[in-house]
Amino acid sequence: MLTIDAKNVDFYYSDFHALKNINLEVEQNKVVAFIGPSGCGKSTFLRILNRMNDLIPGTRLTGSVLVEGQDIYAPGIHVDELRKKVGMVFQKPNPFPKSIFENVAYGLRVNGVNDKTFIEERVVESIKAAALWDEVKDKLKKSAFALSGGQQQRLCIARALAISPKVLLMDEPASALDPISTAKIEELIYELKKDYTIVIVTHNMQQASRVSDKTAYFYLGELIEYDETTKIFTNPQHISTQNYITGRFG
Amino acid sequence: MKRFLEKLVEGALLLSGSITSITILLIVIFLFKEASGLFNSPVIEEGYVLGLNKANPVKDLNSYQIKQIFDGEITNWDEVGGKEEPIEVVRLSDLTKYYTEEELGASFENIPSKASELTSKHAGIILFLPKEYIAKNFNGTLLNHETLRPGDFFGGKEWYPTASPSAQYGLLPLLLGTIWVSLGAILLSLPFGIAVAVYLAEIASMRVRNFLKPLIELLAGIPSVVYGFFGLVVIVPFLQESFKLPVGETALAGSIVLAIMALPTIITVAEDAMRTVPRATKEASLALGATQWQTIYRVIIPYAKSGITSAAVLGIGRAIGETMAVLMVTGNAAVIPHTLLEPVRTIPATIAAELGEASAGSGHYQALFALGCILFLITMVISISIEFISKKKYN
Ligand SMILES: Nc1ncnc2c1ncn2[C@@H]1O[C@H](COP(=O)(O)OP(=O)(O)OP(=O)(O)O)[C@@H](O)[C@H]1O
Ligand SMILES: [Mg+2]
Repeated sequence: MLTIDAKNVDFYYSDFHALKNINLEVEQNKVVAFIGPSGCGKSTFLRILNRMNDLIPGTRLTGSVLVEGQDIYAPGIHVDELRKKVGMVFQKPNPFPKSIFENVAYGLRVNGVNDKTFIEERVVESIKAAALWDEVKDKLKKSAFALSGGQQQRLCIARALAISPKVLLMDEPASALDPISTAKIEELIYELKKDYTIVIVTHNMQQASRVSDKTAYFYLGELIEYDETTKIFTNPQHISTQNYITGRFG
Repeated sequence: MKRFLEKLVEGALLLSGSITSITILLIVIFLFKEASGLFNSPVIEEGYVLGLNKANPVKDLNSYQIKQIFDGEITNWDEVGGKEEPIEVVRLSDLTKYYTEEELGASFENIPSKASELTSKHAGIILFLPKEYIAKNFNGTLLNHETLRPGDFFGGKEWYPTASPSAQYGLLPLLLGTIWVSLGAILLSLPFGIAVAVYLAEIASMRVRNFLKPLIELLAGIPSVVYGFFGLVVIVPFLQESFKLPVGETALAGSIVLAIMALPTIITVAEDAMRTVPRATKEASLALGATQWQTIYRVIIPYAKSGITSAAVLGIGRAIGETMAVLMVTGNAAVIPHTLLEPVRTIPATIAAELGEASAGSGHYQALFALGCILFLITMVISISIEFISKKKYN
């Protein structure tokens, strides 16, 4: 079964046609990178996958998006259930003004988990999975704002992992970080691939080629090319893709 | 030249800052100075004295005891620490019961000697006379040197400034009236105000918000008399009807009117605070599968806590200090309230209603200033403690 299966998706911000007839499939435990020039609709498409665009008034979608076979835009779908399954890490780290522990426990608490020992175990596991444990193990009670930007971003990843999603959406997760933190996040993505299906938006071609199995190239709201990453970077079918990855525009 | 101008502006700012602070300080000093005279003013009416029989062991009476004696509520000396002996109250006009008009003299020239004689003969007497009718060799004990004690004010259970011979300046009924009315107002307006703020900030569509917000801000500008009038015409009769009360002017009516008045401030300030919550923080919560309500009470309200606290402080401030509207709907009975459905009187309403009739420098006048000091202290304590609490939580 395909983890993500988008068919004929058109998306509008009021009367602005932001995405045009997108068809895209993602298999389980793969990493897919979205690339393309600024404003081409990468974030828009990513946010379609966990219905984050619902928050923006005046948006409209046609076509269908299936996650694990289920149409997530069908009537009767609970968005909070969907978002539990499809986690998200944002471009800028956005921890809550709470302690490190409470940040990671948040997703569990809002989803009705009350078992204290379970929460504790899960928080520790998630922080370890986000490769942050050694740096924060002595200050779990401290405010999340006391961490560096890179640590905050890994905390946000840990927070997303804590509720055991199936899919992890990452919108330029390393764009605000220094090279060392970026390398850590990339390593982490490589590790997480074993357990999660990952969709990552990036402007960094090396990053896309390093971390992803498949790459989707968007341009002006259209999905121009979607193929194995090696193929996109060595033998793109479209001249526009080639121009973009070789840095001739974008 | 530029530097000179900057210095000039700096100086002007400093000056206006200091003038403001000094003015406020002067007001406070003035308030406390006027009030301080209260405990030097006599317990009984200026120019009068109380006389007792020499054998009476009672040497001092406080303001409230004097009032009760003259009201006939205390009828025996043993109730005020004396011997078992019925109290016999004698005022100037009562002298005619004991002596004929001839005996007192055509122009009352014999009153001093007769008063002295009467006092020495009656063991249970308490005589209340103007000073000039007291003979040099008055045969009795005089209680004219007594001044009002702090207990008479802070512990006094009655506010009755025109009582004779001893005016009652008891703080308790007014203080409790203020507290009841304000507490009721806050209990009504805070939950409701925060609910409306949440609705406006998080739930209402842009259209509804753009319509409601200016409307609510407009409400804050309506003069309080108008609210008082509304309360008098709508709320007071409504309460009287629904609770089957003898009078509708009650503490509850005051609380409701104050709550309505405080709402616009609370809503505006709390809503502004909630709108400062970054979108990214809200999205983070929703992306973790939190519902909108969970996001509101787990992220937005905690994030906006300090703003909500200031909304509460401003609301309480308005409630405690409000005068006119409360004066109109609370019934103005200076008695200690037992339920919210009784008439009460608040400190600000008392000051507003009575300052005009109290002559400058009199005990009544000083008592009103003392009330002002109490009001000042209450608001100060509240805002300092709330500041303290919210700071502590924030760290
Ligand atoms: N809230 C919105 N309302 C209206 N138009 C929007 C909104 N968000 C995005 N758009 C428009 O939709 C288009 C796609 O935006 P999107 O954010 O998906 O681009 P992107 O590929 O993620 O760009 P970037 O690389 O700069 O993040 C852009 O033209 C943008 O102006
Ligand atoms: Mg984007």
